Amino acid sequence: MLKKECIAMLLAGGQGSRLGCLTRNIAKPAVSFGGKYRIIDFSLSNCAHSNIDTVGILTQYKPFILNSYIGTGSAWDLDRASGGVNILPPYMGETEGSWYKGTANAIYQNMNFIDHYDPDYVLVISGDHIYKMNYATLLEFHKEKEADVTLSTLEVPMEDASRFGILSVDEGNRITKFQEKPLRPESNLASMGIYLFSWPVLKKALYEDEMDKNSVHDFGKNVIPALLNQGRKLYAYPFQGYWKDVGTIESYYEANMESLRPQKSINLFDPEFRIYSNDMVQTPHYVGTKAKIENSLISNGCIILGEVSNSILAPGVYVGEESQVKDSILLHHAIIHAKTHIEKAIIGEKTEILSHCQIQPKDKKNSAHSGITVIQDHHIVTEGTVFEAG
Amino acid sequence: MRSIIGIIFGNTRSDLLQGLTQERPIAAVPFGGKFRLLDFALSSLVNSGIRTVGLITPQHYRPVLDHTGAGKDWYLDRKSGGLFILPGAIHGLTGGQSKFPLKDMGLNIEFLEKDVSENVIITYCNQVYNINYHDTLIFHEKKQSDITLIYKESDNPRELEGRTILSLGEGQTVHALEENEAQETSPSLKPYFVDMLIIRRKLLLEIIEGYKTIDTIDLLDSIRENLSILSVFAFLANAYIGRIRSIADYFNRNMDLLDPEICAELLLSKNRIYTKVRDKSPTFYSSTANVRDSLLTCECSIEGEVEHSILSRGVMIKSGAKIKNSILLQKCIIGPDAVLENVILDKFVEIKEGNVLKGSGDNPLVISKKSII
Repeated sequence: MLKKECIAMLLAGGQGSRLGCLTRNIAKPAVSFGGKYRIIDFSLSNCAHSNIDTVGILTQYKPFILNSYIGTGSAWDLDRASGGVNILPPYMGETEGSWYKGTANAIYQNMNFIDHYDPDYVLVISGDHIYKMNYATLLEFHKEKEADVTLSTLEVPMEDASRFGILSVDEGNRITKFQEKPLRPESNLASMGIYLFSWPVLKKALYEDEMDKNSVHDFGKNVIPALLNQGRKLYAYPFQGYWKDVGTIESYYEANMESLRPQKSINLFDPEFRIYSNDMVQTPHYVGTKAKIENSLISNGCIILGEVSNSILAPGVYVGEESQVKDSILLHHAIIHAKTHIEKAIIGEKTEILSHCQIQPKDKKNSAHSGITVIQDHHIVTEGTVFEAG
Repeated sequence: MRSIIGIIFGNTRSDLLQGLTQERPIAAVPFGGKFRLLDFALSSLVNSGIRTVGLITPQHYRPVLDHTGAGKDWYLDRKSGGLFILPGAIHGLTGGQSKFPLKDMGLNIEFLEKDVSENVIITYCNQVYNINYHDTLIFHEKKQSDITLIYKESDNPRELEGRTILSLGEGQTVHALEENEAQETSPSLKPYFVDMLIIRRKLLLEIIEGYKTIDTIDLLDSIRENLSILSVFAFLANAYIGRIRSIADYFNRNMDLLDPEICAELLLSKNRIYTKVRDKSPTFYSSTANVRDSLLTCECSIEGEVEHSILSRGVMIKSGAKIKNSILLQKCIIGPDAVLENVILDKFVEIKEGNVLKGSGDNPLVISKKSII
C-alpha cells in the first residue's frame, strides 16, 4: 500500500438525539441540509478539495442510509483503489470487540486501519458540522509550528462561549489552557472539533487514554486535556468563516434558513469550492400555472403547484394545488397534498401530508427559532389533521 | 441483456437547427433544461439492460465527449462492456441525408467484431423518448427475425413527413420501405419507421462487408435492396417519440415537457433519463420572483417573471424582467426589466436592461451563444 501523508478520520457515529425525530431512523450526518445536500457532504467535500484521498468514516448509530449514501465515495472523488472512503463500523476481533465507547475509543479501535496507510498526520473531523475549509492550510500551519496537535478554532460571541470547549492561547497561537464548557470562559476561542495530530503523538495518546479507567474516551473531555497537561505542543489554528454545529432542531432550522441569504452564510453558489453530493435526482423542477414561489430554494425534481415562501425544498418534493408552505424545510421526496397549510415546520423524508391539513406555530409572535414542528420521515399525516406549536 | 449491444448514430449533419448546431453536433443539443438529445437514446438503451453502447460521433465531437466522459453517469463506466466513442466518417455533401451510413460502422468495425452478442440495436439521435426495448427484443426473438424495425402509426402529414413508410404483411412482416412522398392527408393510419431497429450482429457484419466498396450507402438502403432474402419484421411502439428536425420542432418538443402527461412519461417514469451530474446548487427564488407553468434547472437565480418557459442551469433573471414562452440555455443573464417572448437563447447570452426581444409563435427568435444584446 502506498504511504499517505495525511488521512482523515470522520466521526459519524453519534445519534444526534437533540435532533429528535429527524434522526430517529438515520444517523445525523445523513440528514438533509440546504435543499439537496446532506450534512456529511460538507466534511467530505472539504476532504476532496484538500487533496485528502483517504477517509475512514466511523459509523455506529443506524448507519444504513448513511452507508448507502456514501457508497463508493465517487461523488466526492473518493473512489480509489488505494485509500478512498472506508466505512468503519464497530467489529468483533478474536477475543473481544465492542461498540465505540467514545470518540477517542472509536479511533483507538481502528488503529490498524490507520497504520495500514502509515500516515505522518491524522485529521480527526466530525460529520455533523456545516463549514468549508481547505485542510491543506491547516496542515501547513501544523508543520510550520512543528505542533504535536493543531486544533481549529473559531471566535464566538462571549455570551455563547460556555457552550463550547474554550482555548486560551499565547501570541504564537500556542494553547495554554483548555476549558470544556466553562461557566467562566477565559477567552472566546472555541474548539471546532477539528483536530490535526502527528500520528505518533495520537497513537500514544490513544493507548494511554484506553488504559485510563476514569476516562470517557472523548477527545474534547479526555485526550486533549491530557496532552496539554503532558506539556505537548498544542496550537490553535484561527479559522475564519461560517461554521455551524447543527446539533439541535433550532440550530438546524436556523442554519438552513441562513442558506436562503447567500451573503451571510455559507455560499452554496460558490463555484470555487463546490459542495459535492450524491444527488440521484437530476430532473428539472416544474412550477405549475397557479404556483407562487418566493424567497425559497428549490431543488431538482420538485413539482410545485401551490405556494411556497421562505422555505427550502429538497429534491423530489411535491406541493399540491392551493397549498401553502411557509418558513419550512421539506426534506427529500416529501409530499404535500392539496389545500394544506404548512408553516414553520420540518417535514421528514418521504413523508406524506394529506389534504386539508394545517401545521403551524401556536403563537405567531414566537421568536424566530421556536415553535418549529418536526414531522418524522416515512410518515403519513392523515387528511384534515391540525398541528399547532412546536 | 448480454445478448444485445447498442449503437447510437450521433453524427448527423444538421443545418436545420440554425445556430443551435453551429458548433455542436445534434447529439449534444441541450434539451429540457437539464438534458442533451443523446441522453434520451442512451438512457433508453441502458434502462433496457444494455451495457455496451457505441456512440458514433461526428468529426467535431468535443461537446459530446465533454458531456459523456467515460459514461459514468449512465452506468457505462464499467469493466465489462461500457460506452465506446466511435468517431464517424467525414461525409461529403451527398452524405447529408443518410441516417445510418454503413461507412461509419465500417470505420469502427472492431466494435462489432470484438463483441459476442447476438443482436445490435441501432438508433438515431434526434428524437426525445423514454422506451424500454425489452418487449421489442422478445418479439424479435420470437419471430426469429433478422431485422426488427420499430414503427408507429399516423395519418398526420406533418408526422409522416420525411419518414420511411412501411408496408406490412401478415404477422407483422415488412414487404416494402418507401420514403414518404405524399403531402395530402392520408385516409388511413400509415405505419412509419421511427429510426430504431434491432439487427443480428453477424448479419450486420455481412452487410457492412458486402457493401464495402460503395461509399455512401445507408443501412436502410441495403435492407430495402435485400428484403426478399431477409426476414424483416415490424414492432409497434406505443410511446411518445418527439422528433426534432427544425427550430419549430425543437421549440415545440421542449414545450411538450410542460404537458403533465408527456412530462410524466419522459421524465417521471420509473425509467429515468440520465444525464451528466453537475453538483450545482438549488435554484433560488427571490421575494420578487413570479414563476408559472415552467420547468427550471438548478443553479438559477430568479428575481423576475417567468411564464411557460424552460430554463437551463445557472440562468439569472433580474428584477422586473419578463420571460414568456421561451427557452433559455445555460447561464443566460436577463437584465432588469428586459422582455423576452418566443425566443430561444443559446448558452451565455446576456440581455441588457430594458431590452425587448420577441419572436413569433411559429417562428421563435434564436440568439446564438455568447451574444450580448
